[in-house]
Amino acid sequence: MRTRRTRLATITIATALTLSACGSTDSGETGSAETAAPEDGGGSFSMAVTDPDLLIPGRQSVAFDFAMTVWAPLTFLELDGELTYVQAESVESEDQQTWTVTLRDGWTFHDGSPVTAQDYVDTWNTVAYGPHAFENSGQLAAIQGYDDLNPADGEPTTEEMSGLTVVDDLTFEVELEGPDSQFPLQLSQAQTALYPMPSESLEDLDAYNTHPIGNGPFELVDDYVEDEPFVVTAYGDYAGEAPTTDQITFVPYTDNVTAYTDALAGNVDVASLPTSRMTQAADDFGDQVYAFEAPGISFLGLPLWDERYDDVRVRQAISMAIDRETINDVIYGGQYEPATAFTPAIEPGTPEGICGQYCEYRPDEAAALLEEAGGFEGTMEITYPGGGGLDEFYNAIANNLRQNLGVDAVATPTADWAEFLEARTDEGIDGPFFSRWGALYPSQQATMRELFLATGGCTNCVPSYPEDVAEAIAAADAAPDDGGESYAAVQELIVEDFPSPPLFFETYGYVTSDKVDELVTSPIGNPRLTHIVLAD
Amino acid sequence: MSEHIVATEAPAVAARGVWATVRRRPLFWTSLAALGVLLVVAAFPGPIAALLGQPDPRACDLSLSGQPPGDGHPFGTDIQGCDVLANVLFGTRTSLFIGLTTTALCLLVALVLGTVAGYFGGPADRVIARLTDVFLGFPFLLGAIVVLNSAPERTPLLVAVVLAFFSWPTLARLVRGSVRSVREAEFVQAAHALGFSHGRIVLGHVLPNSLGPVLAIATTMVGGVIVAESTLTFLGVGLVQPTISWGLQLSTAQTYFQTAPHTLIFPSLFLTVTVVSLIMLGDILRDALDPKGRS
Repeated sequence: MRTRRTRLATITIATALTLSACGSTDSGETGSAETAAPEDGGGSFSMAVTDPDLLIPGRQSVAFDFAMTVWAPLTFLELDGELTYVQAESVESEDQQTWTVTLRDGWTFHDGSPVTAQDYVDTWNTVAYGPHAFENSGQLAAIQGYDDLNPADGEPTTEEMSGLTVVDDLTFEVELEGPDSQFPLQLSQAQTALYPMPSESLEDLDAYNTHPIGNGPFELVDDYVEDEPFVVTAYGDYAGEAPTTDQITFVPYTDNVTAYTDALAGNVDVASLPTSRMTQAADDFGDQVYAFEAPGISFLGLPLWDERYDDVRVRQAISMAIDRETINDVIYGGQYEPATAFTPAIEPGTPEGICGQYCEYRPDEAAALLEEAGGFEGTMEITYPGGGGLDEFYNAIANNLRQNLGVDAVATPTADWAEFLEARTDEGIDGPFFSRWGALYPSQQATMRELFLATGGCTNCVPSYPEDVAEAIAAADAAPDDGGESYAAVQELIVEDFPSPPLFFETYGYVTSDKVDELVTSPIGNPRLTHIVLAD
Repeated sequence: MSEHIVATEAPAVAARGVWATVRRRPLFWTSLAALGVLLVVAAFPGPIAALLGQPDPRACDLSLSGQPPGDGHPFGTDIQGCDVLANVLFGTRTSLFIGLTTTALCLLVALVLGTVAGYFGGPADRVIARLTDVFLGFPFLLGAIVVLNSAPERTPLLVAVVLAFFSWPTLARLVRGSVRSVREAEFVQAAHALGFSHGRIVLGHVLPNSLGPVLAIATTMVGGVIVAESTLTFLGVGLVQPTISWGLQLSTAQTYFQTAPHTLIFPSLFLTVTVVSLIMLGDILRDALDPKGRS
């Protein structure tokens, strides 16, 4: 059963939680809450989480909320899109390739030791060191020397990245592989691999995982024990903005529907909203439901290794046969937004509407287009990971395709997430499939790098890696920060090729008990627990 | 007593006695009628669904999601906008298929092992008795979940085989007991005395006279298997999409129970009627066939 639970958790994350982004339903109010002086603290609340196992920020995959309370990021992206500096005083560059990071003076870890440039450099080298196999090391991949620590064959010959140089106690330089205007964004809150760990704690990482010491507004009280609730309290010497509460308890749940029910009963104060409860959440929780706009986007992946999908008209026809509006209303209770571009709308400069008619529901044109392309032979078997509450979503798509295109479409789940991932990575699927990516910082770059480059983390999510797209993304990275315009230009190439139909811009949903007056977010879609407003 | 009399008259007497008992029970006719209808439905789900409205269980219109029973959709529509009636009718075929296949497989194994154990006794009996003990000691649900979870593709046939794998021992014990009681009967001893081979005695005399109670329990078992399949499917380890099954319909409907209760009620109703009919029929047959139960 242990394995099964872990698998379910993985899917939950993949489908509901992963990483975040911005925009709450009432951003105006949130803005004012952020600028107002923090209240006098006081109060505590609990949050339902998936049991994390791994708490080290360079390794965690389901402990974002915990990490964002115990560590402070270098930079923070506010809800209004403004990048502010937290642990960093400044992040500057002449050529966008060599970046100088200056830390704020007087900041300390929870053990009282000062946060220094050396801590950052040591931490980043530890995270990137190949043999450690840290799950989130990819977040450092653009730094020069990362490849030396992760050689294709054998052991690395060095333990340090050549691109990192300590200038003085509070300053270090980062040399990137190529110019990248988005670097300051990459230092923001959800890129947890970049969080600092005290240099001395790097000697014993297991001990550090049991009791992490961070530089953030909260500190862990007792050692972390698997499957037990863990508590963080406000760190008295925190040099940044004080949090609105004194204490947060993270309660592990194996099933997010149980957590939802517990939130309804008032046993836990903040819980994520499971897909299966999206349609009834408003009835159950009234205005205690939050759908935070997030940098997540879903696609209908197409098996481009199968020649039946070679014709772009077939792919466009499939896209036009899907009724995104109705699926959103019926399956997701209207919480998502039909996608009209190839990156989430929250990422600045995303050319919404670039997908044009191909992302609209046009069943007749779709059928005609498929006919023109020579029709479709055989069964279209949509494959998705089972056990994650995705059944209704993919059944609805199969019904759309069957009804509107007259193809024999069925939706079939795999036994679990691991089996699905293996099949997709090995090109072992011969029909459309599950494909989504939740970015860690809201820049089109964050989504494009993972989905549209052969080196991306979402292997075969959109299995088309043409040379011109890769070149265009590199050119956009090198261009000065123009609010995403240069990345928008890349999407014109993508829409031409139309490798996979975009489906939805995602939101990350949460519900709260009556104890919470307002849940605040940031542009990564997770709740900003340090700024939660409790009811009196 | 000649072989002729044993072979023809004894079963005939038993059959007449059974018939006389059951034909006066209204419950017998009720369950038989219900099962008859369900068998017809399972054989021709499409035409029957067409008569009642929507012939295709996969013709779904998402914009008609979760409609209560009404024009064109006597049982309403499910969350995908598919006709609930058509789905329930097509689900009948899957459920009966699994119920009957599993029971047939169990019966086959049980007859072979139970007869060997009961007729020959001795070491064969001891080995087979321990084997059934081992299988009975297995927690059924846990075993089924483990096996099905590691199966690559969960088709109705596979689910039937897995269910049979864990359900045969009860039936085998029953066959063994039944065979043992017949083994000592006078007509069997007479057959021995006449020098008949074991095969001839078993097939000609022992089995025909011990089969009655076993068939009655097997009927009840079909109902039990259908429930087991629905339970496993409901728990997410039984059948999977795109198979149409009551268990899957119930599993989906539980999520939307508050908004579309009819999607839960109708499959449950069919499931209950089927299972209750089978169990009632089995009970009545057992009452009639069990000599001790007969007044």
